[in-house]
Amino acid sequence: MGVTTEGKPAAEEKSLRPKVLVFCCNWSTYPGFQLSRLGEGDEGDREPIIITMCTGRLDPELILEAFSRGAWGVFVAGCPPDECEHNGNYKTRRRILLLKKTLGPLGVEPERLALEWVSTGESAKLAKLVGDFTARVAQLGPL
Amino acid sequence: MAKPKVAFYWCASCGGCEEAVVDLAEDILAVVGAVDIVFWPVALDFKKSDVEAHEDGSVAVSFINGAVRTSEQEEMVKLLRRKSGLVVAFGSCAHLGGIPGLANFHDRKSIFERVYKEAPSNANPGGVLPQTQTTVDGKELTLPEFHDTVRTLDQVIDVDYYLPGCAPPPDLILGAVTAILEGKLPEKGAVLAPDKSLCDTCPLNDSKPEKVSLAEFKRPHQILADPEKCYLAQGLICHGPATRSGCGERCINANMPCRGCFGPTKGVRDQGAKILSFLASIAGLEGEEKMTDEEVGRLIGQIDDPAGLFYFYSLPASLLKRKNLRQGA
Ligand code: SF4
Ligand code: SF4
Repeated sequence: MGVTTEGKPAAEEKSLRPKVLVFCCNWSTYPGFQLSRLGEGDEGDREPIIITMCTGRLDPELILEAFSRGAWGVFVAGCPPDECEHNGNYKTRRRILLLKKTLGPLGVEPERLALEWVSTGESAKLAKLVGDFTARVAQLGPL
Repeated sequence: MAKPKVAFYWCASCGGCEEAVVDLAEDILAVVGAVDIVFWPVALDFKKSDVEAHEDGSVAVSFINGAVRTSEQEEMVKLLRRKSGLVVAFGSCAHLGGIPGLANFHDRKSIFERVYKEAPSNANPGGVLPQTQTTVDGKELTLPEFHDTVRTLDQVIDVDYYLPGCAPPPDLILGAVTAILEGKLPEKGAVLAPDKSLCDTCPLNDSKPEKVSLAEFKRPHQILADPEKCYLAQGLICHGPATRSGCGERCINANMPCRGCFGPTKGVRDQGAKILSFLASIAGLEGEEKMTDEEVGRLIGQIDDPAGLFYFYSLPASLLKRKNLRQGA
């Protein structure tokens, strides 16, 4: 798992731009998503992306860490389960569901965590999903 | 040569850790013979002023059990820290927050409301809540302040070593005392227990299938568990895969699954996340590709009170703690 150059902290503390972290699968969603965001302005203005080799490798501890370090929302983009080469996404589906049930009592609204299936070549859809998610998280405000 | 001075103290705890020291049985005589116990509220009549009278750093080691909930506990552990060369967080509550730490699912306000006003056994028509200061018949009475949040010992003072467990077992206590007396301690910050998972040493491990898959979650009161078969394989949630070994498999031997009192192995920052992770991995693993979202939801929904279950002993030490605490409230 590597942090891209975009992995630096987004925006300024003061500006109330929602801090959303996106986990993207290296083999499918990430390349297209990154391309689709070219020419969108400053890197610092966009959601930081962390690439995973497969969302099945995404340790729930990392999601909790993102929230503990100030993320307003965490968006996980994985290949649709039947398209995943590693069968990891069935695991991800269960982990995210269980995480959502666990977050509430820990003081984090479950809506701050999202999992969406996006195929290779659906970067426009992904960009829209991330945009909509960011808007919803902006409504919730910081943690 | 003067014997090394040793202190014991308790904070938010149940008394079980004190019991664990007494459980050293005749071995305790060797310990008592080798050290000079200068403070032990449960057993010996020393006062705070006796502790204050010692030179800073002159107490070789303080064993402190319990989480930190009140201003009195905070004051005492800070005093003991100043007086001691070493501080050992003794037991689950000092180490990770333990059972008293589950109170962090609430805050002071809601706890006071419940305990002093709503609880059916209360007769408190005036709705009186504990005060740090109050005047009765012209006399001023004081109580320690009840903090909003339960903290682990190392969230309040610097801790040198951790003796895990609810309560720590006699062999580990004796091992720690001996290591201290002989100056054979590992690096600072170490947990004085094996760095293996409980499954590695569990007597039921042989019956644990290579690939566990759970089609259903059961709770201990719902079935008569087979004492010879890995509990996970029977559909009972067992925290063994995400818990440190060293307890002597006490719950397993008493026909109960593990609840994680020894905390995680080295390098894990959030035991609850690890428990969540392995459970989600094995839930409905067999035939996972055929399950609909609804079926997955139903299966996951069988896990009752997941936050309480995953952070049974470690909520105050968790990454998220709870929202109020993160905001510094
Ligand atoms: S899951 Fe529990 S019962 Fe099974 S081997 Fe591990 S500790 Fe033992
Ligand atoms: S089996 Fe688990 S909960 Fe029980 S004493 Fe051992 S570590 Fe603690």
